Order: sequence, then C-alpha cells, then structure tokens
Amino acid sequence: MSTQGRLPLSIRETLAGKHILLTGASGFVGKVWLAMVLHHIPQVGRIYILLRGKGRGVKERFEKIVNESPVFKPLHDAHEGRMSEFLSQRVEVVAGDVSQPNMGIEPDTLARLLADVDLVLNCAGLVDFNPDVREALSSNVQGAINVGDFIEASHHAALLHVSTCYVAGHRDGFVPETIVTDRTPNGTSISAEDEYRKLHEIIADVEAENDDPATEATLREDVVRRLAERGHEGDYKRVTDMVTRLKRKRLREMMAKAGTDRAKALGWPNTYTYTKALAEQLLAARADRLRFASFRPAIVESSIDFPFAGWNEGFNTSGPLVYLAGTWFRHVPAAAGNALDVIPVDSVCRMLSIVACALIRGENSQVYQCGSSDRNFLPVDRLTELSALGHRKYLREHGNGALERLILSRWDATAADPEHVLNVTNIRKLMGQVTRYLKHGMPEKIPSELREWADDVSKSTDNGVRKLRQIEEVLELFMPFTYEHFCVFECRAVDRHPVVEPEFRFAPETIEWRSYWLDIHMPGLRRWCFPEYEDKAKETYAPKTPFRLLDAALEPARPSAPVPAREEAG
Amino acid sequence: MSAKHTAAFFRAEGVLVTSGVMQAAMFMAGQRAGMRERALRFGQALASAPVFGLLGQNDRTLGNRVAHLCYRDMSEDRVVVLSEEYVDDVLSEKVLDSGIELMRKAKADGHRVVVLSEGISEIMERMREKWRYVDDLVCNHLEYRGGKATGKLVEPVIGGYEGGKWLTSYAAEHDIDLSRSFAYAGHGPDLLLLSAVGHPCAVNPDFTLRKAAREADWPLMDYKA
Repeated sequence: MSTQGRLPLSIRETLAGKHILLTGASGFVGKVWLAMVLHHIPQVGRIYILLRGKGRGVKERFEKIVNESPVFKPLHDAHEGRMSEFLSQRVEVVAGDVSQPNMGIEPDTLARLLADVDLVLNCAGLVDFNPDVREALSSNVQGAINVGDFIEASHHAALLHVSTCYVAGHRDGFVPETIVTDRTPNGTSISAEDEYRKLHEIIADVEAENDDPATEATLREDVVRRLAERGHEGDYKRVTDMVTRLKRKRLREMMAKAGTDRAKALGWPNTYTYTKALAEQLLAARADRLRFASFRPAIVESSIDFPFAGWNEGFNTSGPLVYLAGTWFRHVPAAAGNALDVIPVDSVCRMLSIVACALIRGENSQVYQCGSSDRNFLPVDRLTELSALGHRKYLREHGNGALERLILSRWDATAADPEHVLNVTNIRKLMGQVTRYLKHGMPEKIPSELREWADDVSKSTDNGVRKLRQIEEVLELFMPFTYEHFCVFECRAVDRHPVVEPEFRFAPETIEWRSYWLDIHMPGLRRWCFPEYEDKAKETYAPKTPFRLLDAALEPARPSAPVPAREEAG
Repeated sequence: MSAKHTAAFFRAEGVLVTSGVMQAAMFMAGQRAGMRERALRFGQALASAPVFGLLGQNDRTLGNRVAHLCYRDMSEDRVVVLSEEYVDDVLSEKVLDSGIELMRKAKADGHRVVVLSEGISEIMERMREKWRYVDDLVCNHLEYRGGKATGKLVEPVIGGYEGGKWLTSYAAEHDIDLSRSFAYAGHGPDLLLLSAVGHPCAVNPDFTLRKAAREADWPLMDYKA
C-alpha cells in the first residue's frame, strides 16, 4: 500500500478530455457524481449518460432530472443562462438499458462508444433490499455482465463498478478490501457461474409453480367464493381478470421470497447484497480480460458540502432510524458499540473520482471500500442518542403544541434489544388492536359524539400502524448491521492515491459526527426525506433559466429499447 | 523590567451570573436519558447543596467535585447539546447586567479581561460567545473516557484557592502588572485572588469575604441585576 515514488494524482488533469459512460445517472450517487465532475472539471471529455427511454423521451427525462433536482443547483448557479450550452457540449444522452444485451444501445452509437469511451462508471442497480429477484438479477447481475461485455469489446475502456460494502454478508469483524470468489459468507463453496445458473433455475421453478393449472384452479375457487360472500356473482371475464391480477401479485411475492431465501441460505441478509456480491464475483472471474475496480460504498447519507450541506434523497438507510428517534417510540433495536457505517454522498463521489482516475492511469486496486468505520468509527448507540438530541433541539422550537415541545422533545430514544417488550412490533400490534376495537368493538348504543371521536382516533391509529409497519420492515432489514453483526470495513486502498486537488480529497476521519449529525444530516433528512414519508409536499427546485439539451447532445434512439419500471437501473 | 499590561479578573459566579454550578448540575441531571437515571443523578446533584452550604465559604473544591458526579456516564454529545440549552434557556436569564457593565468598562479602560468560573467548559465557552469583552476564560473541564464523562473534573479544579496561585503564573506569562490590575469576586475562597491584585473589589460577597473585605478596606459592591 505504499505511495512512495508515486506522483500525487490530479483529478482535473487525469479526467481532462476523457470520455466517460455513466449508468445509473438518475440515482442518488450518480446524480451527485455527475454534477460534481461537471462543476469542478469542465474540461472533462464527453460524458455519455445511459438512460432508459426512447428518442425525445430520454432527452426530456434528462432535462427533467437536471431542472428539478437540487443536485444541479451549483451548476445552474455557475452557468446561469448558459447552462444549456455548457451541458450540451459535455453530455450526450444515450437511450439504453444495462440489463439488455449491448446495454440496449443502438448499433451505430454502440460502435462509437466502444471506440470513444475511456471509462464506464456503472452506478446502475436496484437498491431495494428485497425486491422481485427477477428485477434484482436483471439490474444487478445481468447489468454488470453486460457492462463487462462492453468493456471487453471496447478499445480501451476500464470499468468502475459500484457495489456495496455489505456484500460481506452475515459476518463479524474486519472486512478486507478483497473479492472472495470461491465461498459465500457462511462458508458454502460457490462458483459464480453455477450460482448465476442456479438463480435462473430458481426463477424458472417459481414461474412454473405459479403457472401450474392447480394453482390457477385454487385461486379461481378462492375468487369465486369471496365474490359469493360479498353477494356478487362474478362472470367469467371478471373472475379471470381477478385471477390474473392475483397470480401476478403472488408471483412477485414468491419471487421476492425466493430471492431472500436463497440469499439467506448462502449467508447474505437480503437479495440486494446477494445479487451485488454475485455480480462482483462474475466480474472478478473475468479480471484477466477486463480492467475493472469494484467500488463498495457503505451507507450513503447526506452530503457535507456538495451540492450543498444536507442533500439527501429517499427514505431508506438511516432515515427510518432517525425518524423513529423523534417519535414516542423509545427503543431502537441496536447493539451498543456496533458500527453503522455512514458515509456522506459527496465523500463517496470524491472517492469515486479518485478511483476513476486510478483506473484510467492503470494504477488501481481491484476493490475500494468507501466507508467511515475503519477511519472514524460511529457506533449505532451514539447515532441513536444524537438523533434523539437532534429531535430535542428541533421540537423545543418547532414542536406542535406543548406536548411535543415539553414532553416529546425530552422523550429520549435509546438503543435496545430487539426483543424489548416495547419494540416496534408489539407497539404496532397494540395499536392495531386499539384500531380494531375503535372500529368494530365499541358498543352499539353509544352517543354519536363518542362514535365520531372513535372514528377520528381510529383513522390516526390506522395511519400509525401503517407507518410503523414500514419502519418495522426497514428496521428488520437493518438488523444485521445495527444489532446482529459487528463489522468494520477496511478503507485503505484509496490511500495509495494521494490527490492534488483539495476538493477531491477523501478524508472521512475529518468528519465531526456530532455537528454532521445535528447540523447537516438531520436537517437534511427533515428537508428532503421526511416529507416523502409523511406524504407531505416535497420542496421543489426550479432554476431561473430551465436547461434544454441542444440537439447535438442527443443520439438517435433505438426504437426497440424496453422501458422497465425502475429508475436506478440504467 | 516592569510588566506592561494590566488585567481585570472576574469570577463569573456571583459577579456576572447569579446561577452557579449546582443549578447547572441539577439541570443536566434532570435531562438524563431515562427516568431512573434522571432521578439518581438529580439526587447526586442535590447532595452537593449541603457541601456547598457547609464548606462553600472556605473551599468550594469539594462541592464542585460532588456536584459534577452527576455527569457520570453522560455522553459528551449530550453534555454539549444540553449545555447549549442550559445557556440559552437558563443562564442567559441569570446574567447580572451590572457585572457585564464592569467588564465593558474594564475593556474600555484597556485592561485584559479574564473570566474565572467553576462552571464546565461546555457551558462557559458558549456563555463567552455572548460576552464580547472576554479575552481569556479559565473554567473547569469534565474528564471524558470513550466519549463519556467520568464524573470527575480535570485538575486543577477551579473553585478553591487555586485562583490565587494560578494568577501569579498567568501574570508572568502575559506580562501583566498585578499591582495595577483589578479583580472582582464574591466568595471566601477568592480571597487569594483579590489580595494578589492592586485593585480588588468584593462583589455580592458571602459572609466570609464581606468580613475580610471590610477588614482590608476593599471596595464592596452589591447588585442584584
């Protein structure tokens, strides 16, 4: 890991004139990286943005991203009035889909990209923890294979593949920056190729089971019986439609379960980490034929300063834990001393740029883990207390009424055993029982005022049950990291590449967690993420002069490119 | 060679603010996480009251040590956040404007303004931000291990006779002529501090200091706001 004799790496000089193909540009990390590079390195070559869609739809989609996402505010501010010209000179939007052969790119464009591209940054992927396994396979595994094929066919491109630290699976201790190719986290021997085939077999089996006439007959009987119970006599078409919908729903549920079961059987906590690990292993098996580095961020959270302090998106990762600490619920399931490896998104994008340059210069390692636990340890119990303190500060000033300002603000959340009697599950069940009683259990002869009151309260508790269910699901997904395992992810490979430009240095050890959590992250969550969870209007952004992609920046689209539902995958 | 500079030394408690260490400790104890912890630590903070009552006019070190025991196992994060809250909600309301005016005047007269306090740094540093005239702050520091307070104060503990001893070395370090300097304090243990300067002044003094000040013919000031 010595850096002796190696000149510091200039991100600006290395990326100047280099052509980069970016997948997953609509995701959290992809957008910030794109905005950061365009902002700091205007001399970059062409950035090809692979987006799903067709023709002008792709162009409009990219324009919408740039015009509506606050990530691009620094760029809009810097190039006000000339943003369209600036961006159109540097960006080319390409219609495609990583999960398709040749990434779904039109042949002429593909030929041009194979000759031009210096680096592929593959941020595409499905980040849901337990999705339909077909979608996870398509985005996370097939996508990586297709990008690998592109690299092999290209004239000189290298691949920077974004994975996750949590490919380590169920394990404790220090996780080194290596790819384990021959065994799973629970020690099962594995061949990536065989496992890839096995996953296809699992999917085929589930599909066959769902298409089985016996299954359909059972579902049809069930539908007819239910319709009869409600006094409806279903005609054939109506019953068939309902059965088709049920089969589709059932298939998705079975696919999600099949993925989770397979992941757990091999030692991964969920489909996401399992498919990401499989993709890494498949790429590593081709390491002699393609130049690639696997980039593993840990839990990506609010930015420190780019595009501005506190930028965040979505309600996953630490959001639910923080949200929970601000409610009447006190016991956050976590083991004191376990790390929750949080890393700000702009730190991630800085390190991505460093690794990108190392790859272009041929000085890269195979794996780079990007987290904080190895360099600036943040235990989950500290994070829980900081969250409680952050809510305290906020509620004292902004709480609704005296109850929130005086009592809830002092209602400290603490890290507790998941089996604690006041855990989320028990509280949800209790609230569910209260709701049922208020709706159906109240005596018939009660005053109408009391009935109205009960109806109002039951609506609130019903809503509370729904929200608790969501939180419970997320907490369960996080349990391996917050409670079950003590993991520290090595994050030293990046130290091989000292960087010239201060704005690109990766230094998680300089993060002061208290001020980050209280003054940046929590206000960021409150501003950008909680409204989405609370069904409130999100803050919108609109530049003074809307960006329009000039025609030169749009390549002709391939008419047959499919348009799947998920946004992250390409 | 004679010293070039002069200073004005202010004991915070009693001169600049009415609230002391015990009130801060009780506030902090009452904001611990969990009801059991709150009750236990509040009791600990309360136990310092008789110690201050019995010994406070001679040596406040023991009282300070007892009062700060209630910080034990409190995270540094919590201490910092609650200190902000304590300063903003409580201590800011206990400021003695007459004391601040003395400080302003001392600064206008060209003296180096130094504040000594028994309070912990987390509280006093934030208070200092509000007092624009302070050049130096000397206060107590909580000892932390692994991000948690041990309940001990870092030596030397401010509140006893150290104020007088410390003054001599401070004057030498900053080239201060003590004979031309001022000091304002209100507790018995501040006698050494006051007697070390050329212009001592007893402010809102306790019985011991009032008696000593009268005997030494030092100026006395009493104000409540």
